[in-house]
Amino acid sequence: MNNSLILSYITFVYFGSFVFYLLMMVMGKGFFGKIATGICVAGLAGHTFAIALRWIESYRLGIGHAPFSNLYESLIFFSFTVILLYLIVEWRTKNRTLGVFVTPLASLAMAYASFSPNISSHIQPLLPALKSNWLITHVITCFFGYAAFGLSFAISIMYLLKRLDRGPERGIFLKLIPDTGILDDLNHQMVVIGFLMLTLGIITGSVWAHSAWGTYWSWDPKETWSLITWLIYAAVLHSRLVRGWHGKKIAILCMVGFCCVLFTYFGVNYLAGLHSYGKA
Amino acid sequence: MNFRKDNMSPSESHRKPNLVWHFFSSVRLTIVLLIILAIVSIAGTLIPQREEALAFSQHLAPGTLKVFITLDLFDLYHSLWFRLLIGMLALNLIICSINRFPAIWKRISTTPRPDRLKPFQDLPSEQCFVTIVPREKVITSVEQHFRKRYKYFQSRESDGSYFIYGERGRLTHFGFYLIHLSILIIIIGAILGSIFGFEAFVNIQEGETINSATRTDSRGPVPLGFDVRCDSFSVHFYKNGTPKEYRSKLTFLENGKVILNANALVNHPVRFRGITFYQASYGSVAGNRVTLKIRKSATDPKTAPLLKMQLGESSPLPGAKAHFKVDEIRNNFMNMGPAVLIRVQPDQGEPTSFWIFRDQEDIQRRFPGLEKRFRKLNPSAFKPFTFVLDHIETRYYTGLQVNKDPGVFLVWTGCFLMVAGFFVAFFMSHRRIWIRISMEKGGTTVSIAGHSSKNPVGLQRELTQLTRSLEEHVSRKGLKA
Repeated sequence: MNNSLILSYITFVYFGSFVFYLLMMVMGKGFFGKIATGICVAGLAGHTFAIALRWIESYRLGIGHAPFSNLYESLIFFSFTVILLYLIVEWRTKNRTLGVFVTPLASLAMAYASFSPNISSHIQPLLPALKSNWLITHVITCFFGYAAFGLSFAISIMYLLKRLDRGPERGIFLKLIPDTGILDDLNHQMVVIGFLMLTLGIITGSVWAHSAWGTYWSWDPKETWSLITWLIYAAVLHSRLVRGWHGKKIAILCMVGFCCVLFTYFGVNYLAGLHSYGKA
Repeated sequence: MNFRKDNMSPSESHRKPNLVWHFFSSVRLTIVLLIILAIVSIAGTLIPQREEALAFSQHLAPGTLKVFITLDLFDLYHSLWFRLLIGMLALNLIICSINRFPAIWKRISTTPRPDRLKPFQDLPSEQCFVTIVPREKVITSVEQHFRKRYKYFQSRESDGSYFIYGERGRLTHFGFYLIHLSILIIIIGAILGSIFGFEAFVNIQEGETINSATRTDSRGPVPLGFDVRCDSFSVHFYKNGTPKEYRSKLTFLENGKVILNANALVNHPVRFRGITFYQASYGSVAGNRVTLKIRKSATDPKTAPLLKMQLGESSPLPGAKAHFKVDEIRNNFMNMGPAVLIRVQPDQGEPTSFWIFRDQEDIQRRFPGLEKRFRKLNPSAFKPFTFVLDHIETRYYTGLQVNKDPGVFLVWTGCFLMVAGFFVAFFMSHRRIWIRISMEKGGTTVSIAGHSSKNPVGLQRELTQLTRSLEEHVSRKGLKA
């Protein structure tokens, strides 16, 4: 069975999981949440299988490489990391409400990869510049960073929603969202993980650039935007750890940060540069 | 959290009335600088920089252009004011670190009294246990077990109870210093690179040798101090035509002696005497050899034999009283592809020169009658012969980027320290543990309390675990006796 066909089905699996998370939030029945998690885990298993299949497939074509080489493969991997990280958080916090905000993100990324006419799902051979052991490390660290920032974005939205929850008449949806203090802590943890991963991603990227192009930093738009993202989250961490900012301000800064992440990921393809694989 | 603004006590700011110092010691400045740097960097990705700036600048009004040039907006990341911003951030970082040092030093160098009672208030039940083992035995076995895990161990008898204090991870308070130090090291590495290093490029034809390269910032050539020869260049393609591998075989020589043979590939540069050679581009130029055919007439159906000719070499024209030679070889003549200039010198009379193209048939289709109009482009100009160009030997040249960056080692050191600093600052904590052993409830009661600089959940888990393992240890030792 074709890996990209499986992956396009996974889009709907994640969407289904979203529907059950939503049912749980609206009806207030934990039973739906369990179903949603089950679907999500099944989706992740299928997702992992399809990525492995794609990897093996590329070797069968004689151009074997890790499936991280173009926009299609990166979107697939992004959604994989988001779901994986989310399930870890769900398991650690024993709380499912974040799911309703995260699964649509993963499902959207999968849908964009699978159904956009501009994105080819063919396995393409690696250009000489991408042939490096750093490819895997660089991509994995960057995308776990992106995923952690994505979760931080979702948590920030939850935080701002929860602030509306005053009094009993606001409905069960808001009531189920954890308290703002818990969200604030969780958000901080996600920012720390994301920041560490982004730092590692930038470092591995510059080590790689050093061996491929001769400079560890060339102010290429992608590099610059990753630095911008890094600066924004550095500001978030300083304002929290030193200035003692909490809550709403941090939530808004995190949302700005995630916009930078998205621009680093997609927007940069509209500016020329070394990473412009979006045109492929 | 580690650094809070309350670390700066009023007395401290009194002691340092210097305004500049005060300005640079504020974390608000750090946040503002980080955000300004982010915004300026965004501008730099929107305004075309360096090579791309020329086309863009033509669309600007003269006044605007002047502003752009004065502010160095076309080379923003290398402009003086951008460097000043980074310099301010570095200064801010140094001064903040110095300013906060006394408070942190105080925090880590003072060991609290072991017999404090406050930590034991509202102690949850899973952090105590009662045992029938006699008190003295409990003390020895608790101390023995506890000492293995915690440093700065102290104990004291007070008010009929025995207190033990231990802690771990004092130095984790310096995690943030490690991160900040790493940033300074990276900045120093970058400065070193830009002062003592260079970026240059060089094209070497197969078989040729060079001893200097051209600087990318067009400040002239840079001598290498040794010779580099390109023995060969090759490019391989995938089946669908995308390039798979570029490879230059290079030989490095000093005073004519071969020191090193190495292959430069993309992602696999060659380093020699502190200078690194990267495979960056390639191209081809015409070589000295061509193969051609000479037909006896324009309609000669038979395939004539292939003749190998060298540039400038004269050869008798078979079946005619004349000699011919190849006068010039071009890889792409008048945008019509590979061509050579043939010069036929009859034994008597004037010579005839004309160009012949490798893609003659294609050119005839595109420009019918061309050879009739221009004698110089007619392969049958020397009657009755028709010259046909079969092949031009092409020679590749390899395009190498040639860099020297003595700061790169510092940059990697900084990167490593930064990651190490992250782990220390965010994932390790300073933990202090108090243990009280007292006689209560008809047995020996052991209570365990603790404090952590961060991660209260982790501390809770550790305390519960510690209580369980101490209880086990105490009862095992007690039963043996």
